[in-house]
Amino acid sequence: MSAVANKDEVSSKNAAATDGTGLLRISHISHRFGGLQVLDGVEFEVAAGTLTGLIGPNGAGKSTLFNIVSGFLIAQSGSILFDGRDITRDSVRARSAAGLVRTFQTPKVFGKLSVRENLMIGYYQHLHSGPFGNMLRTPRSRGEIEGMRAQAVQAGERFGLQEVMDRPAGKVTAGMQRLVELARAWVSQPRLLLLDEPSSGLNSTEIEQMRAALQRLNREGMTILLVSHDMDLVDVASEVHVLCFGSIIASGTMAQIKQDQAVRQAYLGV
Amino acid sequence: MPSETHTTKLRRTLLWLVPLVLWAAFPLVATRHMVDLLVFAGLYSIAGLGVAFLLGQCGIVNLAQSVFYGIGAYSVAWFCANKGFPSAVGIAAGIGLSMTIAAIVGWPILRLSGYFLALATLALGIIGQVLFLEWDGVTGGTLGIGGIPFIEPFGFAFDTPARFYFLVWPIAFVLLLLHYNLLHSRNGLALRAMRDEPDAAAVLGVDIHKLKVQMFMLSAALGSLAGSLFAHYVTFVSVDSFAIDRAISFLLLAVLGGVYTVWGPVLGALFITILPQWLSRLGDIHAFVFAAALIAAVILLPEGFGGAISHWWQRRTAKRGLNGGSP
Repeated sequence: MSAVANKDEVSSKNAAATDGTGLLRISHISHRFGGLQVLDGVEFEVAAGTLTGLIGPNGAGKSTLFNIVSGFLIAQSGSILFDGRDITRDSVRARSAAGLVRTFQTPKVFGKLSVRENLMIGYYQHLHSGPFGNMLRTPRSRGEIEGMRAQAVQAGERFGLQEVMDRPAGKVTAGMQRLVELARAWVSQPRLLLLDEPSSGLNSTEIEQMRAALQRLNREGMTILLVSHDMDLVDVASEVHVLCFGSIIASGTMAQIKQDQAVRQAYLGV
Repeated sequence: MPSETHTTKLRRTLLWLVPLVLWAAFPLVATRHMVDLLVFAGLYSIAGLGVAFLLGQCGIVNLAQSVFYGIGAYSVAWFCANKGFPSAVGIAAGIGLSMTIAAIVGWPILRLSGYFLALATLALGIIGQVLFLEWDGVTGGTLGIGGIPFIEPFGFAFDTPARFYFLVWPIAFVLLLLHYNLLHSRNGLALRAMRDEPDAAAVLGVDIHKLKVQMFMLSAALGSLAGSLFAHYVTFVSVDSFAIDRAISFLLLAVLGGVYTVWGPVLGALFITILPQWLSRLGDIHAFVFAAALIAAVILLPEGFGGAISHWWQRRTAKRGLNGGSP
């Protein structure tokens, strides 16, 4: 089926890009809200095919940085390169079209739609029929909706959502909503998946499921940037950056980060 | 089992056939006045469908539908009564002009949301009303334009309420069907997604602003078509028919009928056209009773008649599904 073929194409594209070069390059990003300097010259890279973590205490500027990378905020200075292209001033939609898709700290599922429909929308941007063609149910329009359904089924099976496919997404548990959001993002075939606090509100079993899902996606070649305060979850990252008071204070593997004096001081005050 | 399949098929056929027969037989048994009311209900269903779709699927409160209704009516009056063009030209010109205005005005104002957007559409409605009044060289001002010909395809004139009834309701039905198709398509899903969580929809590549403008244009086209049909039916148009209270009526019927179902506006249109007439038998108190009925409907049925029926149907289907599973 074409849907499966597309997935394979994306996987091979991601796999081919797993050469350690920076898929996302954040350079000298600074941002202030009034008199408060939230980000101050932040710089780091996310290499293609890696699972990168971004951690920091509350108020470190993680969410602001995440909003800047995904396009909900435009940085006051600095630049963001995605696959070599400057996207600093691009809209959310343009970034999404380039392959940069995010999830939210509070899951934003389409509550009145079923889980199946939520997953179907993930495939929206790969299709092109217009509203007027949709009204007339042209063959293209019918084919597209079938393709979206096939994608949803595939994602439902993959993320273990079969039991809740026809329930309103707003009525499933918080853990399920996280999975729906992740599965929906996966259907959109991102080149870089940005995950904002994916373990927030989950119990320990659900966090374990989330860890496993992220590791599997990364093994398959998906590049992931993960923002979290949950050290256990960030443990899956191959490289971690620590943000504190708007600046990167340490970078390395999780083991190195845990030994870093600046990080210990920021987190534990020792 | 074969007998069950046969029963189900029969039930489904009857579900369509009975209302169809009742609909077709209605003008034969009803009074001329009642058929006339149903013609208006059909016209309001078309205009109200646009308003309901915008509100229910895009979260846009549209108080400018009276302008597009007026543009459709005046286009027919100007092209067909003044210039002698056929109906199709007047109707197409009205739709084209309405969609163009909706695109030009909608592009900036649809960046607003909530109360601000509602006020912007209200301003458009008021500007339209003033223009219809003041631009008397085209609209006839307070005197209006008379002598609009009936729609007369192939020599058959839709010149009585009964005949027009058989024109307006099939058009309304086709439009409902087209909107149903849209709602269950790629862009229909995107509309509902952006209504629930616009940020998440944008992340998935939905061009929210463009989609809103397209839906505003579509709603304007429906308003214009309803206005054109209205002009052909009553053969006279004046500014009184396109005041802001008309826009409020369209919004009211959308809310009463239910904005989350495609066919809700039909129920809303029937309610606001037929109920006041029935209540008029009560004498001077009828306006008060109608107002009380409106308030009761809004409080008791927050998702409108369509929403209530839809929920009832879902519960019934779920119950039958459970029963069907037991031996």
